[in-house]
Amino acid sequence: MEQVLKLRNLKVVFPTDYGLIRAVEGVDLDIYHRECVALVGESGCGKSVTSQAVMRLLDSPPALIRMDVLEFDGRDLTQCTEAEMQEIRGKELAMIFQDAMTSLNPVMTVGNQIDEMYRRHYGDSKQAAREKTVHALELIGIPEPKERANSFPHQLSGGMRQRVLLAMAFACMPKLIIADEPTTALDVTIQAQVLKTLRGMQRGCGTSLLLVTHDLSVVAKMADRVYVMYAGKIVEKAPVKELFTNPHHPYTVGLMAAVPRLTDEKKKFTQIPGTVPSPVHKPSGCYFHPRCEYATERCRREMPRLEPMGRDRQVRCFHPLGVGGKSSD
Amino acid sequence: MKRLWMGVRKRLRGAGELLAKIWAHRQGKVGLIMVTLLVLVAIFAPYIAPYNPYDVSQRTTKGLPPSWQHPLGTTINTGQDIFSMLVYGTRVSLIVGVTSGVCIAIVGSILGVAAGYLGGAVDTLIMRIVDIMLVIPTLPLVIVLTNVLGRDFWIIILIFVALGWTGLARTIRSLVLVLKNTNYVKAAELAGASRWHIMIRHILPGTSHLVIMSTALSSAGIMVAEAGLSFLGLGDPTAISWGKMLAEAQSGGALLFGAWWWIFAPGLGIFLAVFGFMRVGLVLEEIANPRMKRTSSVYKLFRSLDSSYVEEVFRSMDDYQRIGVEGVSSGGGQSRGTGLEA
Amino acid sequence: MKLSYVIKRVLYSLFVFAVVITLNFFIPRIGVEDPAERYYPPQGNMSEIEYEIVKQLTREQYGFHVSTWQQFLNYLKGLAQGDLGTSFRPGSPKVLDLIKERLPWTLVLSVSTMLIGLIVGVLFGVVAAVKRGRWQDTLLLNASTVMVALPSFFIALVLSFYLGFEWEIFPAYTDSTMVSEFAWTWEGISRVARNAALPVMSMMVGSIISYAQGTRNAVIAVTNEDFVLTARAKGLKRSTIRYKHILRNSLLPIVTSLGMSISGLIGGQVVIEQVFNWNGMGTLFLEANQTNDYPLMMGIMLLLSGFTILSILLTDLVYVLLDPRVTVGDKR
Repeated sequence: MEQVLKLRNLKVVFPTDYGLIRAVEGVDLDIYHRECVALVGESGCGKSVTSQAVMRLLDSPPALIRMDVLEFDGRDLTQCTEAEMQEIRGKELAMIFQDAMTSLNPVMTVGNQIDEMYRRHYGDSKQAAREKTVHALELIGIPEPKERANSFPHQLSGGMRQRVLLAMAFACMPKLIIADEPTTALDVTIQAQVLKTLRGMQRGCGTSLLLVTHDLSVVAKMADRVYVMYAGKIVEKAPVKELFTNPHHPYTVGLMAAVPRLTDEKKKFTQIPGTVPSPVHKPSGCYFHPRCEYATERCRREMPRLEPMGRDRQVRCFHPLGVGGKSSD
Repeated sequence: MKRLWMGVRKRLRGAGELLAKIWAHRQGKVGLIMVTLLVLVAIFAPYIAPYNPYDVSQRTTKGLPPSWQHPLGTTINTGQDIFSMLVYGTRVSLIVGVTSGVCIAIVGSILGVAAGYLGGAVDTLIMRIVDIMLVIPTLPLVIVLTNVLGRDFWIIILIFVALGWTGLARTIRSLVLVLKNTNYVKAAELAGASRWHIMIRHILPGTSHLVIMSTALSSAGIMVAEAGLSFLGLGDPTAISWGKMLAEAQSGGALLFGAWWWIFAPGLGIFLAVFGFMRVGLVLEEIANPRMKRTSSVYKLFRSLDSSYVEEVFRSMDDYQRIGVEGVSSGGGQSRGTGLEA
Repeated sequence: MKLSYVIKRVLYSLFVFAVVITLNFFIPRIGVEDPAERYYPPQGNMSEIEYEIVKQLTREQYGFHVSTWQQFLNYLKGLAQGDLGTSFRPGSPKVLDLIKERLPWTLVLSVSTMLIGLIVGVLFGVVAAVKRGRWQDTLLLNASTVMVALPSFFIALVLSFYLGFEWEIFPAYTDSTMVSEFAWTWEGISRVARNAALPVMSMMVGSIISYAQGTRNAVIAVTNEDFVLTARAKGLKRSTIRYKHILRNSLLPIVTSLGMSISGLIGGQVVIEQVFNWNGMGTLFLEANQTNDYPLMMGIMLLLSGFTILSILLTDLVYVLLDPRVTVGDKR
């Protein structure tokens, strides 16, 4: 399969008055053609920083960034100038943000904001761009697209606004779309509709999708492969089915237990004890050990490596669960 | 009695801690030193001033430039010693400025808390008054009022207070609207505390940092206004003030005869006083609300970073022996920064 | 939706104006039973009876012989017909005529100060925001901390001292023939410009810095908004983002501060006009103050307040045009 994105060893720190914030600590990502990859983790685990670093949207200062490889569609993005990145962004590598209310310019009509994509990347005239915009809005499921294009963001409902962001991202048929919590701000029912549209558009356009989310139910519906991130590091990588049927890392298990399920009445809805460690003062050894019920002395001392575990799976744990009877108790 | 004493001690300790915090701030230290200096000069003016500033009979010393005898020279028309006038002028500026500042803090916080906490008709009334005072040009109104009420020292302070409380009341009101919904106030309400009690014990302390800050800032503002008023010849006619010195300099021919010291001396006085109080006020603002920090510390931080320490941090993130994970080596030398254009 | 917002704002402005008118009428009457005493304070060399006669004449001439409420009604009636009252000056000129004579000269100063301050200030503010943390920004920070502590009349004296007297670049005092010999010729206009240079420069410094500060903070606040990140993710050029997205949104707070600053600008101009002996409303006001000419003082006050109310109202309306979110029920 053709690889769209290859990221190796991404590290990001932010200097602050209180010390260095270790936001991302050596993350690898691979995304292939037409694939939907999910990056899952609690807020503050560095997943948004990762996605912005891939877009090369992180400003330096304040961020300090290192990476070994950032290849997009066979091009080395680390070698691109800002002008070259501007050509790529939006056209081949697009992004959808979480809160459509704040992510859209409040004093510009949504139509004008989508027009900008065509005018910037295809050099279209005003009229030509608007025709395409109206078509794109129609495609994304917005009724009366011609009138809606002249609306301001605050005049649209939350779901509509999110669809506008989708239309914007898909405007130039990019090779990869990074969706950062695309439905978190929405009601559950609208969330489902928007996700369905997103999935449909992704399939229809042949786009790859990097879905950044904290919500495992979204992952289950959308993703082909999953990266689980904790405190700046990838702790588990697996195809979606295998991850859900047989999670290896205690953190993944904890995340799943925290998702309320209708089908499984016996299982209690539990939360992972404790909180995400402060990104300035991370614990010694495995970052998850203070919250892990299986933690041993070794976990407290040593950071486990991300080890291959079966076909196309990796886990960062000394005592992975559900592996050939090795399940700890 | 004992309880009162405890309360006073607690307040004093709080004040001491605040002073220590201001002192710890570089800009705050500058402000504190300037303010302290001015206060000392005002108190000990008769001992500091080498001549009698009111003495207009020194015909032999007219229009002298700065020298060892007269550190800031003398006036052209009356031969008064300018340094002595400057020293005495501190008194007017400080008394008017600080008294008005403190009174504004009291009036503004009371009205602001009342408007924010009581709401309803009280709120509407107070905010309408604020709106109306906003549109009447301040300096002309002050002039009209001094004309109507007189130019006595205390009347001028009264006028400044009457016109100066609006800004603080407005800010305090919006803060109170936030405090009103905090859990501890809600809890006190549920526990049956009276509204009066809640306002005094719970809401007012929450606004204290704003009030202290505004005292410093409005004192500075009033000092400028007072200087302007006496510059126009509308201040207390019996006192020596910096504004009046400037007016006398202009009418006495300082410009015409090149007596630059006569202009710069009172200007320096005004500048030092206003600047000192301003510094203290702004530092208090920063202490209360670190996000207000005007200087972009992140950028300074970025420049001051120790690169070997950063490299150490980056290296500590590596999984040792990464080779083997899909065969990608991560030799430290290959890492390259992107977009590092500090 | 928007229309009702506009109507609401207009009505509120009218309410404020009504209160200001009332205050204007009553402030000169504080502390005296008879307004005639304001016009003609008791004098030592006059007998009771003589003084009483003088007061009686004054009352009838200025309409003080009727009850206070009747006077108030007459005042309102006069205002409705555009009559701001009669000055206490010899010859009893109309207040409005006196103001009309001076108003253009005042506007020359305040409008040019405002325009220059706004243009230079906004540019400077944008540069400081873009070059955040670099020398341009530090310059603005230091300039503003220093300049805030220097009153404009002190700056005026220093400018007048050096540029006016020592180096003789600009006239240090307003040329007394500037007004009387004014003609719409190149000569006449350039003369006004030369005379206005120092007063405008003295006020300009402060207004440039305050607009620059406001702009800088507004631009930085907008730059940190999510939609700017969206715009960058769209691949838009930096210049497009800066002008189409950031600047337009930064205008909102700048416009607000503009409306608010007018009142302070006009008030502060009184002192500057005095320093340079400029033939404007400020000096007219101070003359009126010296002669206890209350109708004239209050007429000027009313005009300035009305002007401020109007500018705040206009600001609010411009806000509606700039910000599509403003609708009824929005309480800013």
